[in-house]
This record gives sequence, C-alpha cells and structure tokens, in this order.
Amino acid sequence: MEYTLKAHMPGLVARVVVEVGEHVEEGQELAVINCMKTEMSCKTEKAGVVKQILVAEWDEMEVGSPMIILDADA
Amino acid sequence: MIKILNGGIEMLVEDWPGRMGYMGLGMAPAGAADHLALQLGNLLVGNQPGEAGIEIAGGYCKFQMESDGVLALAGTDMEPKINGEAFPMWEAVPVKKGDVISLSHFGGKGGFRTYACIAGGIDVPEYLGSKSTCLFGNYGGFCGRKLQEGDLIKTGLGDSSAAGRKLNPKYIPEYTHVWELRVIPGPNSVPDYVTEEGMDYLFSTEMKISHNANRAAYRLAEVPDYFWARKDGGKGGSHPSNIVDHGYNMRGGINVTGNTPSLLIADGPTLGGFVCVGNVINADLWKIGQGIPSMDKVKFKLSTPEEAVEARMELKKMLEAKDLFVS
Repeated sequence: MEYTLKAHMPGLVARVVVEVGEHVEEGQELAVINCMKTEMSCKTEKAGVVKQILVAEWDEMEVGSPMIILDADA
Repeated sequence: MIKILNGGIEMLVEDWPGRMGYMGLGMAPAGAADHLALQLGNLLVGNQPGEAGIEIAGGYCKFQMESDGVLALAGTDMEPKINGEAFPMWEAVPVKKGDVISLSHFGGKGGFRTYACIAGGIDVPEYLGSKSTCLFGNYGGFCGRKLQEGDLIKTGLGDSSAAGRKLNPKYIPEYTHVWELRVIPGPNSVPDYVTEEGMDYLFSTEMKISHNANRAAYRLAEVPDYFWARKDGGKGGSHPSNIVDHGYNMRGGINVTGNTPSLLIADGPTLGGFVCVGNVINADLWKIGQGIPSMDKVKFKLSTPEEAVEARMELKKMLEAKDLFVS
C-alpha cells in the first residue's frame, strides 16, 4: 500500500534526508521544510520503504503538496 | 492550568500591547501578532482585552485542560475539537478538567493565527510590564520560548459567567489571501532615497509574503531597481537601501534591505541601517499577523496620519460596542 508524505506547511524544501530504497520507521523525519525562518520536520505517519522522492532542495511547497512516496509496511 | 500535549508549529504566550517603552534600549515590544483576535477572544471570556492568551501560529497542536474553565478561540478557523467533537470559533465554551482540545491547521478561508483565551487569563510573571514572549530575546511569556509538550501553563482565576457568549457575526474579522494594508509614508519615502515610480510600484503591486516571515518580520517580494533614487547608500553603505543607522519605525514599518521590503512587527529590530519607506497603520497591524507565509499577498494603500488615528479610534469603539456579543 502506498503512503504519500505531504507538506504540512508552505515553504521551501530545505533537504530530503532519506534515499530511495531506504526503510523508514513511523515518526521518522523524511524531509525538512524551511518556513518562518525555522526548519520544520516532515515526519512519516507510516513505516515503509522509500519508493519515490518527488521534491528537491528549494522546491516551493504548499500545504498538501506531495513530497515522498513510500511502499508502506502491511 | 493547561497542559501542552503537542506544541504544533508555534504556540506562544502573548498579550497586548506588549512590552512598551523599551525600544530605546533595543527591546522589541513583542505582543500579539493579531491584536484584534486576541482582544476579541479575551472579551468573549470576560477578560480585559489585552490579557495574555496563547497565540497559535499554523496549528497542528493539542492541549489539555487541567482545571474547569471557559475557553474561546479567536482567529483563523483551525477546525478545533474538544475530545474529538467539533466546537465553534468566536464563542466562549465551558471546558472541564481533562478535556483535550485539538486544532488542525490554518485553512483555505484565510488567516494563519488563532488565539486561545481562557477566563482569568494566562498566569505567567510579567517581565518589564508585559506577559508577552519575545522569541528573539528569549524573555517574557513562558520561560521566554515556544510552548512544548509537557509544559504546564498556569491560568488565572476566572469565572464561568461568560460561558455561551458569542461574537456578533458582523464583528468577525474578514480573512483573505490578499491583505490590504493602509500605510502612511516615511520617514525615508522622500526623493532623496526613492523614486516616485518606485513608490508607485510599492502602492500598486500585490506583493507575495516570503517563506521567511515570522514574528520579527514579514519579508515580501523584491522591489525593482528603479525603486532607488541613489546609486549607493553614501556614508551608510554600498547599496542604496543603506543609510546611517537610525531608530526604526515599528510595529508596521516597511523596512527595505537590499531590494527586499520587510514588514517589521512584534519582535522586529528596533534600529539599523536600512531605509523605512512607510508604516502600516496600527488598526491594520492584525492583518499582517494573519498573512500566511509563502502563500498570501499584501497590497499597500496610501493613508494619512489623520486616517490612521481615526481607524484606531474606530477599532477601539468596535471593541466597546454594545452589540459586540449575541447570546
């Protein structure tokens, strides 16, 4: 089952901290958004394997913009 | 007492008008980014309008009541819930010990901040005459910082007589994604520093709020090079935005650094070496606090000191209106 991490704040992507193929745990930080001169952690609500990274550094996010797709653990 | 279960993006203790009288010593006034919503929220629960509340920017937060009380949320609708059940904004709601209040996030209707006001107010020590948090100085409010999971915030002694009070719908502020801000010129809006065409651009362009927008300053989209009347800043520096250091006009100053204008607000710098070409009037400061970073736009409208005073008096009259509430 796919899970898509979406931006929870508008802002710029500061960095993506995982790679395609990496297994991640629920609650783990996958990326960071820069907004209000603060780095805001984007954490996954599900464990799984990173399938696709849709964003790059400096990309502008709106709330709900898809960022990273996981193959979520069953 | 309130227990913070999730501090979300940014929760702060703020009052109004903040810490006045110390700008000459380099201390920003802090205070609510949206003073209108805070004051309305306080009046709803029976507090003095400038009493401290909890300023919630962005949302995604959760807190628990550790005692019975009366709560009102004023500001942008973050779809608040008590124990999972939706409850209305702009209304004094009775709450019980153990109740969990959760907020989603700022929505499509516009606005970025909401104030949680509790009957009796927030009981943090006053520092230099104010309960407001100054984030960049790390003083005031609750330990001089954002609220975080596990914090226990004392509340004052309030009564429940305001429970059920609702704000008259005609007084609910209108939220948008393009905020018109009335501005008086100065002190560097003269031809010595800026061109007429440059000021025309400033007053005719919808300017997007940058992602670099917080309680110190709301950075905006750049102005064009023809904004400037000078080739450089003379003795002030190499860029025409430079001048010899001076005290900034704030809250609401339009400060231009390089070609980037910033609205100096609650925690902004009190002096520096860049021009200030205008000032948002006091009655419109609240709109800046509701602007969503990296999304909303502002548009400046030329105003006068006389109009600014009148608008401020109108706002004060509104807060004292006999029909402010409906039951």
